[in-house]
Amino acid sequence: MAEDPQRNFRSAYYEKVGFRGVEEKKSLEILLKDNPLDVEKLCTFSQRFPLPSMYRIHVWKVQLGILPPHSDSHSLVMGYRREQYRDILEALKAIRVVHAATPQVEVYLRMFQLEAQELSRSSELAPPGEDDENFLSIAKSMEEIVEDPVDCYWLIKCFVTQFNNKFGDTVPHLPKSLEHYLNMEDSRLLTHLKSCGALTKLPYDPWFWRCFSGCLPESSLQRVWDKVISGSCKILVFVAVEILLSYKNKLMGMKRLEGILQFLANMPQENTDAIVTKAIDLWHKHCGTPVHLV
Amino acid sequence: MAREQPHMGDLLPLLESSDLHQVEEVKDLIRDHLNQDRGAVLVNGLVDYYLETGSTEAMHFLSSVREPHDKHLLDKMNECMASRACRLHTLTLLGHVVRKEPSWIHKIARFPLLLSLLKCLKTDTDVVVLITGVLVLIILLPMIPQPGKQQLYEFFDIFGRLAAWNLKNSGRVTEVYLVHLHASVYSLFHRLYGMYPCNFVSYLRSHYSMKENMDTFEEVVKPMLEHVRIHPELVTGTQDHELDPTRWKRYEIHDIVIECAKVSLDPKEASCEEGYSSAPEHFSAPQPLRHLDCGSSPYADFHSSCGSSSSTLFSTPRQAMTSLSGMQPPYRSPQGSRHQIGELNNSCGLKDPFWTPASVCGMTTPPPSRGISPTGIAESTRSSSNFPGRIHGTLGSSKGMPSFSTPVTATPPPTLSDVFSNASRSSGTSSPPRKDNRSLEYLKPGLVRQEPISELERSHMEAVETGDNSSDNIPMTLTELSSFVEEQQSAEQEEDALMQELLKITEDPPQLPSQWGLDSPFCHTTETLTGSQAPGPVALGLSLSHECHAEATSGTDRPEGAPDLFTPIDCPVPNQQSPPAPEDEAEAPNKAVICFPSPCGAATPSYEALFDLALPKAAPHFVRRRTSEALRRAGAEEGEEAGPGPSVGPPTPPSPLEVLDRLVQQGKDAHDKALKRLPLLSKSADWTHFGAGSAPLDELHTLRSQLLLLHNQLLYERYKREQHAVRNRRLLRRIIKATALEEQNSAMKDQLNLQNMDILSLKESLQVEQQRYHQLWEDREAVVTRLHSQIRQLQQGRDEYYTKNQELQSKLLECQKMTGKLEAELQKANNVVCNMGHQLSQLSIKLTTSESMQQQMAFLNKQLLLLGEVNKLCMEELQHSGTDTSKEQQMMLASSDKELERLRLSLVTQAQHLEAAQQRIGELEAHLTKKEHLVVEQKKFLEDVKAQAKGELQASESRYQAQRRVTQALQTELLQLYSRLEVESPATGGGPVPAGGTVQPHSLSVPRMDGDHTSLPGSKVKTAPQDRVDVNSPAATPHRGNISTLLPLPTPGSVNGGGGCPLAWVEPPPPWGSPGAPSPVSSCPTSGSFLDMRAQELLRCKSEGPWDGDPRRLAGLSQGLKTEMCVDPLRPAWGPHTREARPDVLRANSRDGPISGPGSARQRKQELRIMDYDETHHEHS
Repeated sequence: MAEDPQRNFRSAYYEKVGFRGVEEKKSLEILLKDNPLDVEKLCTFSQRFPLPSMYRIHVWKVQLGILPPHSDSHSLVMGYRREQYRDILEALKAIRVVHAATPQVEVYLRMFQLEAQELSRSSELAPPGEDDENFLSIAKSMEEIVEDPVDCYWLIKCFVTQFNNKFGDTVPHLPKSLEHYLNMEDSRLLTHLKSCGALTKLPYDPWFWRCFSGCLPESSLQRVWDKVISGSCKILVFVAVEILLSYKNKLMGMKRLEGILQFLANMPQENTDAIVTKAIDLWHKHCGTPVHLV
Repeated sequence: MAREQPHMGDLLPLLESSDLHQVEEVKDLIRDHLNQDRGAVLVNGLVDYYLETGSTEAMHFLSSVREPHDKHLLDKMNECMASRACRLHTLTLLGHVVRKEPSWIHKIARFPLLLSLLKCLKTDTDVVVLITGVLVLIILLPMIPQPGKQQLYEFFDIFGRLAAWNLKNSGRVTEVYLVHLHASVYSLFHRLYGMYPCNFVSYLRSHYSMKENMDTFEEVVKPMLEHVRIHPELVTGTQDHELDPTRWKRYEIHDIVIECAKVSLDPKEASCEEGYSSAPEHFSAPQPLRHLDCGSSPYADFHSSCGSSSSTLFSTPRQAMTSLSGMQPPYRSPQGSRHQIGELNNSCGLKDPFWTPASVCGMTTPPPSRGISPTGIAESTRSSSNFPGRIHGTLGSSKGMPSFSTPVTATPPPTLSDVFSNASRSSGTSSPPRKDNRSLEYLKPGLVRQEPISELERSHMEAVETGDNSSDNIPMTLTELSSFVEEQQSAEQEEDALMQELLKITEDPPQLPSQWGLDSPFCHTTETLTGSQAPGPVALGLSLSHECHAEATSGTDRPEGAPDLFTPIDCPVPNQQSPPAPEDEAEAPNKAVICFPSPCGAATPSYEALFDLALPKAAPHFVRRRTSEALRRAGAEEGEEAGPGPSVGPPTPPSPLEVLDRLVQQGKDAHDKALKRLPLLSKSADWTHFGAGSAPLDELHTLRSQLLLLHNQLLYERYKREQHAVRNRRLLRRIIKATALEEQNSAMKDQLNLQNMDILSLKESLQVEQQRYHQLWEDREAVVTRLHSQIRQLQQGRDEYYTKNQELQSKLLECQKMTGKLEAELQKANNVVCNMGHQLSQLSIKLTTSESMQQQMAFLNKQLLLLGEVNKLCMEELQHSGTDTSKEQQMMLASSDKELERLRLSLVTQAQHLEAAQQRIGELEAHLTKKEHLVVEQKKFLEDVKAQAKGELQASESRYQAQRRVTQALQTELLQLYSRLEVESPATGGGPVPAGGTVQPHSLSVPRMDGDHTSLPGSKVKTAPQDRVDVNSPAATPHRGNISTLLPLPTPGSVNGGGGCPLAWVEPPPPWGSPGAPSPVSSCPTSGSFLDMRAQELLRCKSEGPWDGDPRRLAGLSQGLKTEMCVDPLRPAWGPHTREARPDVLRANSRDGPISGPGSARQRKQELRIMDYDETHHEHS
C-alpha cells in the first residue's frame, strides 16, 4: 500500500509534522477497494494505525466476520443479518422475554443468550446477573459507538464471541503481564501498589474482561477496541499500565487500598485520549510495530 | 555591741597609757573587735581619736584595717577632709594609710575621698596641707594608675596650680615652705611625667602656651624639664594609649615607681637600674667634657672658689692625688674608699659601679672620677647658664671639646705649672689643680672669643678674689686631708677623729672656710658611720644630725634614732662666709633639719642661695632683702662672716631636692653656729636674742610645720626606699634565676662537649669506615677492570669467531649456489637425456612405421605395377571392344536422370506438407495454452465464488442456527405453555391417547405460526428434498402418510444423501410420545423457502460426511454454474438464474429423462466433458 505510485509525495512529511491519518485514510480506502477484502491486511493496518472513524464500523464488521470479504455479497449478507436480528427479536418478543420497556442492552443480552442457547425460559427468566455484566458493559459501550441496532447487536455478539474464543485463555494471564510492564516502566509505583496490596485487587474485570468498557469514554475506547478487534489483547495491559502511570502521583499519595480502588473505579475521564495514545505508543514500544500480534 | 561601743571608745585613751601591759591588752581588744565587728563605729572612733591626739597606736590600727572597714575609714576621712581644722591630720593619716599599701587601696579611686583630696589640693591655700596632700597624691598615683581623663587633668591642674604657687604666693608664705613645696611639686612632676608623658606634655604645652603662665614655665617647669629625659612613650605612645587600663596591668606599684624614676635625670629622684644603668656609661664619654665644662664654667669655679659639688670634690682629691701621686700612694686608697663609702651612703649605691673601679685602679683615668653624677653637673652648668654667665656656660660647653684634649693628655704638667702660676698670682699658695684647668680653659676661650671675654674677665676677676680666700684654704685642706688620711690609716678612732675635726671646726670658726672641703665629707661620713642622732634642742622626735654635730660640743655620742640611710655625702659647706657656694651638689639628706632662717643671720645667705637656685626669678628679690639684712647682721655680729656679695646670683644646680638638702644642711649649719655662738643662752633667750624678725610663737609654728613637712618628706622617701627594696628583692630573685640558668647553660655546654666528643669519635670511625669502603671499592674496581678486560678479550675472540663463521657461511652459501647450479645443470642434462630418450622412442616408432610404409610402398608399387600391367591389358581389351556399350549406357543415364527429377519434385511437395503440418501444430498449441489460462482463471474465479458462497453460506448458516435457536426457544415456550395448559385442565383429558385429538389444533396452529417466516405451507409440500429428508426416517413414514405419498420417485440416492444430518429436527421426539405431534413440529423448520432448503442441503452436502451420494448432482450443479459462466460471463447477477437453473439441472439429473431434447443432450455431453476435464485436472493437480 505504501508503494502506491499515486501516493501523495507530501505524505512523507505529513507524518513528520504530525498529521497522522491523512495517508492512512487513503491507504485504508485503497485496502477497502480490493474486491475480496484482505482481512489480514486490514488487521495489520488497524493494529498499526488508528482507524478513521468513518470506516471504523465497516472495518470492524469485516474483521469480526459480520461481513464477508467479498464486497459483492455484503448487501446480501447484511440482509441475512438483519433478518436474523429481526427474527430473534420477534421470537423474544413472542415469548415475552423482552418487551417495549426492556432496555436495549438487555435486549441484546437476551438475544445473545438465545443464540447461545443459554436463555432460560421466560417464566424462570432472571434479571441479568453478575455473569452478564461483562456483556452488558460491552454492549452499553458499543451501543454508544454504533447507531444501528442491527449492526450494534452483531458487533457486540461477534466481539464478545471473538474475544472469548480468541483471548479467553490469555486474559487470566494479563495481570502478570501488567506487573511485568509496570515494573519495567516504574518499579517504584509497582512497589507502592504491592505494599498497599492493591496490585492483586486492581479492577481487572472491567479492564480486561470488559475491555475498559465503562472505564473509558467511548471516543477513547473505540481506539482501544480497534486494536483488540484486530487481534491484540496486549493493548489492554498497556492501557492499564498507562492509566496507573498517568495517575501515579495520586496513587503514590494514597496509602489505603480502598482509596486506590475507589479512585481507579471512578477514574477521571478528562485526558483518556492522551492515555490511550500513550498506551498505544507504549505498546508499540514494547511489542514493536506489529505485523501480527496475538 | 551597743553596750560595748562606749566601752571601746573609753578604751582608746588607754592606748597612750604608760602601762605597757595595759596597752597590749587594749590593742588586743581593739584588734578582736575590728575582726568581729563590721560596723563603722570603732573605725570612726579611732579616726577621731587619732585626729585628736595623733596617737601612733591609733594610726597603726587605722593604717592596717582590713577589707570591710576600708569603706568606713575612707568615708570617715572624707568627712574629716571637709573640715579645715583636721584636714592636715587627715591627710597625714591618709598618707600613713596609703604608704601601708593595704590590699584595698585600689578602691580609693572610687571613693569620694580621692575627689575631696583633689579638691583640697586645688583649693586649699595652706602650704603644709598642700605639701602633705601632694606627697600623698604622689604615693597614691602608682596605686591607681588608671585614672579617668578627667581625673588625670585634675592631677595636671593640681600640678599647674602648685607649680605656679611659688611665684604667686612668694610674698605671703614662708619661704621655707616654698622649698618643700617645690620639692613636692618636683616629685609630682616626675611622677606625672613618668606615668603619663603624652598627656602631661600636651597639658604642659597647652597650659604654658598661655602668656600668663610663661613665667611659671620659665621659672619652675623648665628647670624641672631639664631633669628628665625624653620619655620613650612620647615617641611611641599616644594620649589614649596612656589611659588604656591594660597598660599598667602587669606592673606592680614599685614597677611604676621605677618606670617613673627611669626617665629622671636627677640622681636624687631617679634610680638607675637595668637598662638605665647603662645610661651613666653613656655619659662616661661626655663625662670628661662635662667635667671640664663644669670646671671651665666660670661661674661654677669662680664663684665658688672651691668645688663644692661632690664631683668637684672628687676631682679635687684626684687631681691632688695626681699631682701628689708620686708622693703619697697610700693616701689614695683610703681616700677613695672613703669617698666610696660616702657615695654608697649617698645614693644607695647608685654610683658604686663607677666608683669602685675608679678607686681600684687608682683613679688614673679621669672619666670615672667624674661619673658620680653627670646629671648633677650638667644641671649645674645648665642652671648656671640661667644667669648672666649663661653665655660663658655655653661657650664653655662648646669649648669643652678642644679643651678636653689638653687637660686629659697633659693634666699633670699643666697642673703643676699652673699651680705655680696661680700661686704666683694668688697668695702664693698652691692653687687647686682644678683651678688650673679652669684657668687654662678659661684662657683659651678668652683668646678665641673676644666678646665673652669681657664678661668672663670680669667674673674671673671676681673669682680671683674669691679664689684668694679659697686658695688660702687649700693648703690647709690638703694638709688636713693628709693628716686626716693618716688618721684614717689608724682607722679605728675614726669617729673620735671626726669628732675632733668637728670640734676643731666648731672651735675654730675662722678656719672653717678653709676646712670646708674636708669637713663636709667627714661630717657626713661620721654621720654615716655613727648613723647618729642626738636629741635636738627642739625635740621633734627625729634625730637631727647636723644639729648633733652642732651640739657635738658636748661630745656625747648620738643615740640611734631614726634610720639615717640617706646621709649627705658632701657636706655642702656653703659656709656662712660664702653664700655663692650653691654648687654644693651633696645628696639630699632628707633629714629633718631645723633651720633658723630668721634668727640666724648667718643662715640667711644660705637661703638666698637656695632661693636663687630653686626660684631663680623670685630669688633676687628675696635675696636682696635678705642680703641687706644679712649684711647688717653679719656686720653687727661677725665681720668675718661677710661673704662675697650675694648679688652675684648663684647660677647653680637646681634639683629641688638638692635645694631641700641644702636647706636642711644650712639649717643645721646655721643652727650649729647659732648654738656655738650662743651656747649659754637659754632657748627663750635664744629666741629673744634672735627674735628680731618674727615672734617666737610664729617661729615655733613655722618650725613645727616645717618639722612636719620634713617628716612627711622623710616618710615619702622611706616609702620610696621600700619600693626600691621590693624591687631589689625581685631583682635578686632574677639574679638567682639567671645564675641557675647559667649553671644550666654550663651543664648543657658540658653535655654539648660530650656530644661533640661523641661526634668526633663517630667521625673518626666514619673515616675509618670510609677508608675501608674506599679500599673495598678499589678492590672491586680492580676486579671489575680485570673482568672487563677478560670480557673484552672474550668479545674479541667471539668477534673473530663471528667473522670466521661468516666467512664460512659465505663459503657455504657459495657452495650451495654451486651445488644448485650443478643440480640445475644436472636437471638440464637429465632433461636433455629424457628428451633424447623420448625422441629416440619416437624416432624408433617412426622408424618402424616408415619401415612398414616402405613395405607398403613396396607392396603398392608391386600392386601399381600389377595394376599397370592390368591397365595395359584392359586398354588392350578396350581397344578391342569399345563402341558396343555406349548407347545402352546413355539410355540408362537419361532414364536415371528423369527418375531423379521426379524424386526431387516429390521431395519438395513433401516438405511443403510438413511445413503446413507444423504450422498447424503451433496454432493448436497456442490454443491449448490459451485454454489452460482460461482454465486457471476459471479455477480462481471458482475459488472466489466458492469463498463468496461460503461467506454467504456462513451468514445463512448462522441465520439458520439463529432460526433454530429461535424455534427452540419458541418450542420450549410452547411446551411450557402446553404443560401449563395440561396442568390447568387435568379434568378434560385423562390420558395421552385422547390428547392426540387435542394436540391436533395445536399442530395446525404451529404451521400457521411458521407461516409468518416462511413462504407458504404449500410450497413445503412440493419440495422434493424435504420429502426425501422426511423419508429418511422410515419409522416416521407410516405416521406421515400424507406427506410421503406426495413423493413420486423415491430415489435410492436420496436415502443415502439423507445421511444423519436431519437428525437435529428428527431427534427431538416429544416426550409425551404422541405420534401426531412430531410431524408438525418436524415440519416446522422445513417451512423455509425452497431456496433456503437448497442452500442448506448444499451446505450440508459439502460440509458433512463423506460424499457418497450421487456425484453427478454436485457435478451438475458446478457444471451448471460453469457453463453459465462460460457461456455468458457478462451476466453479473447470476443468483436468481442459478437458483432457477439449479432445479432444472437437478430435476434433469434426478428424473433422468422427462426433460429431453437436443439442448439437454448437448448439455449432458458438455457436462461430461467438463467433468472429465475436471477429473483430468484433478489428476494433474
